[in-house]
Amino acid sequence: MDSLKKLTTIIMAGGKGERLFPLTRDKAKPAITFGGLYKIIDFTLSNALNSGIRRIYVFTQYGSFSLDRHLREAWDIMHPDLAEFIYSMPPQQIMVNRWYRGTADSIYQNLTLLEAERPEQVLILSGDHVYKMNYREMLDFHLSSQADMTVAAVPVLRAEASSFGVLKVDTRGAVENFLEKPAEPPGMPDRPDYSLASMGVYIFRARTLVEEVIKDAKKKTSKHDFGADIIPQMVGRKRVFAFNFADPDGTPRYWRDIGLLDAYFLAHYDLLGAAPTFDLFDPDWPMRCRPQLYPPSKYITSPGGCLAVGDALIAPGCIIEGAVDRAVLSPGVRVGRGATIEAAILWDRVEIGAGAVVKRAIIEDGVKIPPNFHIGVNLKQDAKRFHVTENGIVAVPNNVILEE
Amino acid sequence: MKTILVVDDEDPIRQLLQEELTEAGYKVITAENARDALKLVQEEALDLVILDIRMPGMDGLEALPRILGLKEGLPVILHTAYSQYQESFMSWAADAYVVKSMDLSELKLKIKELLKE
Repeated sequence: MDSLKKLTTIIMAGGKGERLFPLTRDKAKPAITFGGLYKIIDFTLSNALNSGIRRIYVFTQYGSFSLDRHLREAWDIMHPDLAEFIYSMPPQQIMVNRWYRGTADSIYQNLTLLEAERPEQVLILSGDHVYKMNYREMLDFHLSSQADMTVAAVPVLRAEASSFGVLKVDTRGAVENFLEKPAEPPGMPDRPDYSLASMGVYIFRARTLVEEVIKDAKKKTSKHDFGADIIPQMVGRKRVFAFNFADPDGTPRYWRDIGLLDAYFLAHYDLLGAAPTFDLFDPDWPMRCRPQLYPPSKYITSPGGCLAVGDALIAPGCIIEGAVDRAVLSPGVRVGRGATIEAAILWDRVEIGAGAVVKRAIIEDGVKIPPNFHIGVNLKQDAKRFHVTENGIVAVPNNVILEE
Repeated sequence: MKTILVVDDEDPIRQLLQEELTEAGYKVITAENARDALKLVQEEALDLVILDIRMPGMDGLEALPRILGLKEGLPVILHTAYSQYQESFMSWAADAYVVKSMDLSELKLKIKELLKE
């Protein structure tokens, strides 16, 4: 536990998340609903909590109110008198008159905070990833490697690694090279068919972090980003190690960057089924979310109702009279008599009218789908009104009014 | 001619640096506090700043990031009677840290280095 006392934890949660438009048009990406009950940042915060971390700064910027509100409503659980806290930290405009120019600049702008804490190590996390990770294991690896910086990295098939930041490592895990979206990703030393992809999770020796962000702040060409600037600046000059996020037998562990609508949609399927790849029912690693008062979900059999529920996650407070299959429902959803929900994600209080059909869609909170209305059936028609992704997923934002 | 801004609340130090650095061939501007210094950084074409740390009002370590925010890449030398600020994270953002001495040779050397003379 002593190593945790000298650790400062920072969650990067200020990004605009433009590729998740329209879901991010009025809120920060980490504040987006995921898995029915959660906001994306809940997974990182739960990981921290389950790892024994009790002092967390959340660096916010874009749409910060959505996150502040969520932190207040769901994560007001720490005791400052026990030196525990979760504080949100938008740009203070004290030291410099600017927004955070990037993740590295947000650290630079908060050097006084690190000065006040004087940690030995700094854990830097991202607020928009879905995974389960014990950060203490990574910290132990970082300390025993005597690393200046450790990057968490997940093995991905080499053929699929070109969309990631890829680390070339030696057999001890020392990073020899970092390649951003390489055409020819280097394989792992012991598994040439796999490459190590950076997860955007870092532990720094605090002194090194300060030196590197100061150096970066003075570079005019820099994007002031950890992945794009700080790692390449350090590799070959400092002790940079990769923490292999895999089981002892080498099986890659679950990690998803919710960067695109399709990725957001597909990641929900990892939650479903008898043996899901990402299990929310894991007693050893509970995921925390905002406690809400809802009655139990109610299923109604009625003439012509066609009540049927297949693979699904259904939050409390829902009333279902239709068919629901391969779907994730947030609290308070209504599925009307004879309606069909197939492969869809419905946020809080969505109302699906009787006889309506919703397929391969993401429906934002509060949207009312009129009776007999079709979404995801005729994509050409949908594209006139809604955002439709390359893979044919329809996103219905809650600023539209739908009529029969 | 290169222009140097000397920021120090002590009159004798400002005078000493003004005389010695003018003699060494620099144009010297002075400020007796950080707020005046920040104004000068915005208004004047400066090549280097020599910044005291302990000053009333805003101290040198508070002024440093503000100076760098106003003029990215402007070299700053922290010039203080105390060595303990070298451990402060913020002081690492300066290009050099020189402990005050009646002998200005170290300071002059750092100036030359930073101005690439």
